[in-house]
Amino acid sequence: MSARELTDMAALRAAIRDTGVTRWAIARAVLAGTLALGSAVGLAAVSAWLIAKAAQMPSPADVALAATVVRLFGISRGLFRYLERLASHDAALRGVVTLRERTYERLAGSGARVVLGLRRGDIVARMGADLDAIGDAVVRALIPLAVAGTVSAISVAIVAVIMPVAGVILALCVVLAGAVPAVLTARSARIAAVEGTRARAEVSAAALSAMDGATEHRVWGTLGEASGALRTADAEAEHAHELASRPAAWAAGAQTFFTGVALVALLALGVLAADAGDLDGPFAAVVALLPLAAFEAVGAVPPAVQQYFRSAAAARRLAELTEVEDRTDAGPAPAPRASSLELDHLSVAWPGMEPTRPVSASVAPGGVLAVVGRSGVGKTTLLATLAGALPPAAGHATVGGAPSSPALTGTTVAMTAEDAHVFGTTVLENLRVARGDVDEAQAWDVLALVGLDPWVRGLPSGLHTELGAGGRTVSGGERRRLLLARTALTSAPVVLIDEPAEHLDDAGADALRAMVTRMRGEGRTVVLVTHDLSLLDLADSVVTLDD
Amino acid sequence: MKPIDPRLIRRIGPARRYILVTAGLGFLTALLILAQALLIARLLAPVLSPTDLAEDGLHWWGRLMPEGTRTLATGLSLLALVVLSRTAVAWLQERLAHRAGVRVISQLREMVVDHVASRGPRWDSGGRTAQVATLVTRGLDDLLPYFVRYLPQLALALTVTPVMLVVLLGLDWLSAVIAAATLPLVPMFMILVGLVTQERSARHLEAMQRLGARTLDLIEGLPTLKALGRERGPATRVRELGEAQRRATMGSLRVAFLSGMVLELLTTLAVAIIAVTMGFRLIAGGIGIETALAVLVLAPEVYLPLRNVGMHFHASADGLAAADAAFALLDEDADAPARASLGVAPDPRGKVLDVAGLAVATPDGSRRAPADLSFTAAPGRITALRGPNGEGKSTALLALTGLLTPSAGTVAVGGTPVVTDAAAVDEASWLAHVAWVPQRPDLGPAGRTLSLGQRQRTALARAFDSDRALVLLDEPTSHLDRASRADVIARMRALADAGATVVVATHEAEVLDAADAVVEVTAARTGPAA
Repeated sequence: MSARELTDMAALRAAIRDTGVTRWAIARAVLAGTLALGSAVGLAAVSAWLIAKAAQMPSPADVALAATVVRLFGISRGLFRYLERLASHDAALRGVVTLRERTYERLAGSGARVVLGLRRGDIVARMGADLDAIGDAVVRALIPLAVAGTVSAISVAIVAVIMPVAGVILALCVVLAGAVPAVLTARSARIAAVEGTRARAEVSAAALSAMDGATEHRVWGTLGEASGALRTADAEAEHAHELASRPAAWAAGAQTFFTGVALVALLALGVLAADAGDLDGPFAAVVALLPLAAFEAVGAVPPAVQQYFRSAAAARRLAELTEVEDRTDAGPAPAPRASSLELDHLSVAWPGMEPTRPVSASVAPGGVLAVVGRSGVGKTTLLATLAGALPPAAGHATVGGAPSSPALTGTTVAMTAEDAHVFGTTVLENLRVARGDVDEAQAWDVLALVGLDPWVRGLPSGLHTELGAGGRTVSGGERRRLLLARTALTSAPVVLIDEPAEHLDDAGADALRAMVTRMRGEGRTVVLVTHDLSLLDLADSVVTLDD
Repeated sequence: MKPIDPRLIRRIGPARRYILVTAGLGFLTALLILAQALLIARLLAPVLSPTDLAEDGLHWWGRLMPEGTRTLATGLSLLALVVLSRTAVAWLQERLAHRAGVRVISQLREMVVDHVASRGPRWDSGGRTAQVATLVTRGLDDLLPYFVRYLPQLALALTVTPVMLVVLLGLDWLSAVIAAATLPLVPMFMILVGLVTQERSARHLEAMQRLGARTLDLIEGLPTLKALGRERGPATRVRELGEAQRRATMGSLRVAFLSGMVLELLTTLAVAIIAVTMGFRLIAGGIGIETALAVLVLAPEVYLPLRNVGMHFHASADGLAAADAAFALLDEDADAPARASLGVAPDPRGKVLDVAGLAVATPDGSRRAPADLSFTAAPGRITALRGPNGEGKSTALLALTGLLTPSAGTVAVGGTPVVTDAAAVDEASWLAHVAWVPQRPDLGPAGRTLSLGQRQRTALARAFDSDRALVLLDEPTSHLDRASRADVIARMRALADAGATVVVATHEAEVLDAADAVVEVTAARTGPAA
């Protein structure tokens, strides 16, 4: 077992603990599952006894009870299975809700460096699919494994009471039919996790390149090479899967084999005992026929093991999302309200990135600093550094006399990113994202500032119209101006604005002008990343990151 | 959704072969289960019968399993043989399933990728390539459970269930009638439950999806909230939304699991009724113990595949949906009008490139970018296309390659048209003379490990060394440092001096200064009249 697997498993244990799923909730689901599959075992046992007893032609009253019990088991299996599925899903869903809240809190409490560095797709995958995978560990791994244990124990107990030797053999076969496939499935999952993941990454890269670079490939006559690269990657992925599927096939075979061994052995024992007169016929029939029903529960073992591995990997990703703690966050939070800004030979970079050329600037409270440069040169990174999300690569950034730090993010320094989120809620609530106590009058005021008031008035429910997913769609220009309005509402003394690369339309430029003018009037400092050179007259100073 | 997509069988060889083999293995399994049941009855009946067994309780099926198998040695060795065979079939089925599954997925993926690669550059509008990439990787991978779990069970349901019914009929007609009568009840009740609960479950499903989307929306916005210092509040909201989603989900599950319960209830109850009925008939002497045992063992086998099909259906639905999307993509624009051919392209070397009235509509049709572009690019000269982003500089270059059909206008060399809005010269013959470097060169999977700047330098080197007569460069200096930029400009000049026609889209002053001619590219809104 690799170190990574051990971390995965520890992460899964911690995640399941964090779901707060109670033992009682699990026990209830396991009980219902045991009664469901136990009904199947009971049905097989009692009906075998009934048929064998009836063959001795007793009075019908002698088998009346057995007949009733058989019918009862015929009904209870379906009923308890239904209850088990409800109980297990309910427990898991409750757990996922709790875990999602906790993960959110943990993430919200992480340093600005962690949170602002998150990619949107990553958050959605972690908080969506990966959290669900933790829930699946309960429904599809934990509970089925527990049920396999209890039901197998019941089967063994029934046989052992009648004929101890047969009980021992059945116990042995059940354990082997569960454990051998479990080990093989784990092996298969391990190969798939290592080889399969690598092969899949290559397939993805080859497929993407063949499609993204299609025009280039056509111009240079390399279409054949591109699709050849995909075929090679596919062949490797098939080979990796072939390696992983070998143990899986043996697992399937092993389960059938040990079931058969138990059947042959117990049938022989039952027949011999009955023949010798050691065992009454009906009980011999129970021993001989029970193996046909006793192995259904261990059939759940291989899929449970697979689920366990999937969930453990998800738990690790989830843990990685929140564990990169920002140490600087822990320090006391000096929150200067002053809004002067000092860039002293400041050079910035995300880890692994080429640092930008050093820039210096000094902005007095109420001043405006514009940042220009080619796309990809690091303008957004500069903003992230000023916001406190990143330590400077070299030089110093000082906000209100204190070095920039994560403690300032959101309090002293507010930032509106190029891809800032418009929430799927009302216009008013989207503005309240900046400050919780924004009233309608303030909302209209700031909407007028950015020139969005006619648009909002035209919406079906005005300020209370739902936007975003499931609501009204917002055009690119409207979105930019709404984000500007939101920024204007923050109470932070320093405001950072990242304008998108596409050139602003006239309304957008006007909105930006109006908003910067107001901020200046309020004595607040604005740092503006822009591509629109006509806006530079707004700025008191300009730094360029181009060399 | 259909259990088997006919297009999988028709178009994907490995899928077709696998389905045939699986059906064969399903039939073999049915025979092995039958042999197992008959042997159990043969072995157990003599010790359970109060008197010696006078007649053959297996009736016609006794021919398959002679009475000699009642002896322990013969019967048990045969049973052991059956066990080994079933083990082998289980192993083989699993092996073949995985092998066929990945083969089908690869083949479908290659078909889709080849198809997309053969579309024009405009096909990608709106990030469709990213969607297709997800479809051909994660999406199609969902086909694996369909091949490994669902199809084998479907094969068993179509073989074992009918075989067992026929066998039951030969053994004991009354049990066969009970089994045959309950079988149609299974789909009937499931459909009934589905109909009764349809409206309810649709409502729950909708609530579930809406709440799920809202939760994710809130979570997606976390970086935005953090940047504004407002990240603490929504945790409670995340919980409330989660609770509401859980209630909606449970509501829908309560309904969804009902049909599963009906399935289990009917199938188990039918087996119980068959057993109880036989019990009382045994007492009355209406049926022999050997027959009763065979029926008792076989009755659950009639229903088992049906139960498993129901169990695995949901797991495979995603994969089938992905296959459906893949086939839909493959069939898309199959009937797109072909461009007329202008024959083999003339060699542009030493000839003037003439662009007249070139216009390309944007994918949404609202603008034309470029709107009306006319210019002449002479050999030995660098012609620069200038204009703000989004005005159509890159599009104009693509139209010159002939891979993008313009909405209007003509591209000609030495007076011979090579690309018009309705026709183009033979693609390969024209592109043999054309070098093109896009803004973000791809260079294949190996190139993906390089930085954008490195990729651009490599792609430019390929163009500069290619000795092609028409060289099209899209923002060739945008990701380069000052020294590399000077080098690129020098190489452009050298190419022109060697007689090539160089057309470069740029907004950088240094490149514009180096150009012999500068052409303004502008877009225009498509007017109501246009």
